[in-house]
Amino acid sequence: MIIEVKNLKKTYEGEVLTHALKNVSFSVQKGKFVALVGRSGSGKSTLLHQLGLLDTPTAGEIIIDGVKLSSFSEDQKTEFRLRKLGYVFQSYALLPELTALESVFLPLMLLRISRDEYKERAYEMLKKVGLSSKLHHLPKELSGGEQQRVAIARALINNPMILFADEPTANLDSESSKVILTLFKKLNEEIGQTIIMVTHEPDDEKYVDQIIRLKDGVVQK
Amino acid sequence: MNIKTAFFLALTSLKRGNKGTLALTVLIMMLAYVNIVFISSIFGGIIEAINREAINNNFGNILIEPEIDERYIKDQDAIGWISTIPGIVGSSPHYIDSVTIRYDERNDFYDIKSGKWVMKSIDVESEKSVTQIHESMIEGSYLEETDRDKIMIGKDIAGGYNGALEHLSLGGVTVGDDIDVSFSNGIHRTYTVKGVFGTKNGQVDQVAFVTKREMESVLKVYDWASEIIVKIENTGEEDKYIDEIRQLGFKNESIKKWSDLMGFTASASDSFAMISILLGVIGTIIAGVTIFIIIFVSVVNKRKQIGILKAIGMRDSTIVLSFVMQALFYGVIGVLLGISFILFVLRPLFISNPLELPMGWVSLEVTFNIIRISNISLIVASLVGGFVPAFRGARESILKSILE
Repeated sequence: MIIEVKNLKKTYEGEVLTHALKNVSFSVQKGKFVALVGRSGSGKSTLLHQLGLLDTPTAGEIIIDGVKLSSFSEDQKTEFRLRKLGYVFQSYALLPELTALESVFLPLMLLRISRDEYKERAYEMLKKVGLSSKLHHLPKELSGGEQQRVAIARALINNPMILFADEPTANLDSESSKVILTLFKKLNEEIGQTIIMVTHEPDDEKYVDQIIRLKDGVVQK
Repeated sequence: MNIKTAFFLALTSLKRGNKGTLALTVLIMMLAYVNIVFISSIFGGIIEAINREAINNNFGNILIEPEIDERYIKDQDAIGWISTIPGIVGSSPHYIDSVTIRYDERNDFYDIKSGKWVMKSIDVESEKSVTQIHESMIEGSYLEETDRDKIMIGKDIAGGYNGALEHLSLGGVTVGDDIDVSFSNGIHRTYTVKGVFGTKNGQVDQVAFVTKREMESVLKVYDWASEIIVKIENTGEEDKYIDEIRQLGFKNESIKKWSDLMGFTASASDSFAMISILLGVIGTIIAGVTIFIIIFVSVVNKRKQIGILKAIGMRDSTIVLSFVMQALFYGVIGVLLGISFILFVLRPLFISNPLELPMGWVSLEVTFNIIRISNISLIVASLVGGFVPAFRGARESILKSILE
């Protein structure tokens, strides 16, 4: 198993306690394309944030590739995210001042890889997602679909164990959505990339191997 | 911390960010720097003018006075040898007496104006090598060696120049007028005013001068001195020359450097220095707060980007460093432009057009020390002003930064 989740809880404090995740347990095998689905407020994005180490659960255990993550310090989490995980966000999350090439090689710079190598690898990755002609374009010079493909290239550049995608097609038209999902499927099939994707589109379910359905913070059997 | 990546992010942000904001920020930093240096330099210029006037027209660099309970320095040989010491530009012995001067403008014995002033004698040629009073004549001419019935008076004695002490003056004596002088030993003499001088030193402008031979005939002394003023080549080396002068035979005489004689003006100089430091500190704080606001606004605008950078695995320290590098860039460019503006525009402008203030001609006294302190102040202000908001921004949780 690449992901094991045991009795995961996430409670948000406030005037009223919000139990976003209630004793969630499941596992994912390596190389699977998994969809986290559910209605708005079901806890699917919250679950993705806990799995991706972007947030800290209230209780429970997350084990990725045999490593228990609950004891990690912030620095260890940062290092783990850099080396083992990749993210694609709903709103592309590109830095407006970086070109497509720069956005993609940024994680490699953090890994202290040589300039020639990170440029070469970023170019190859952008070629894979069909953007070899737009290397030096800033985000404002790219369409929504193209920006999301840059974000995918950035997420994949460090060969992550798991790619997390939080509603990656929510802001795209149906044609661009299809391109992104087809790309995910291709990556999953060709290189065995494990992908965990949050979606609320029923049509997206046909691309995935496994569906984890959430309702009110609980995994539906 | 990844310095290379931090530098890369800072550089792209500066290169591809809003050019107007960048130009405005650099301009503000430059003005903040000019403000710090200008205030320190103008106060430095005022202090320098006060000191220069004291040295050039009043005390020289070194003042020798008789030993306690003696009225005169009597070692004639030693007096003559002072000027032979290498590095000493000149020395000038003075006789000093307290005199009463009277001026009867209409020669009718009515409305006679009088007052008590200090009378000094000068050895004309020696005096020219020590003081600059000969360059400060505002009316008439300087004394000559052979003058016996001529007198040279300061503008505050003459009156008519709207000085602060006009009410105590002789009310408008001009060149060619005769004035009566009563010396402390009871001798009365009448002198014709040969010249009126005006320096920027209030004390000097209340002194009257006659020639050495004239004064000796009144005081009945010969080749002695009530004081000797000494001018040296390099101000600041007074202690060295005081030792050498002592070795000439001035064992018990009082030998002081000019800075020990400044009295009230020394405390004024200290006050100017204090105000200068205070304004410098305020200027530095303003520069720091300015940088803080600029970086704070930048951090707020880039909150989401900071969250993204953290999500992809960038450490907080690298993010903070990239903002600090930007702040440092603003500071360094501000310093470079500011220093260029001061050295190539303001300073030449002030040198060619110094300000005429009561204490002297004031220019910008831009010293290496002022530049060094101002550079350090602005750079430190930039670092602190950049670090604080960046540190706070980088500590926000990833989700809060990305999603809100």
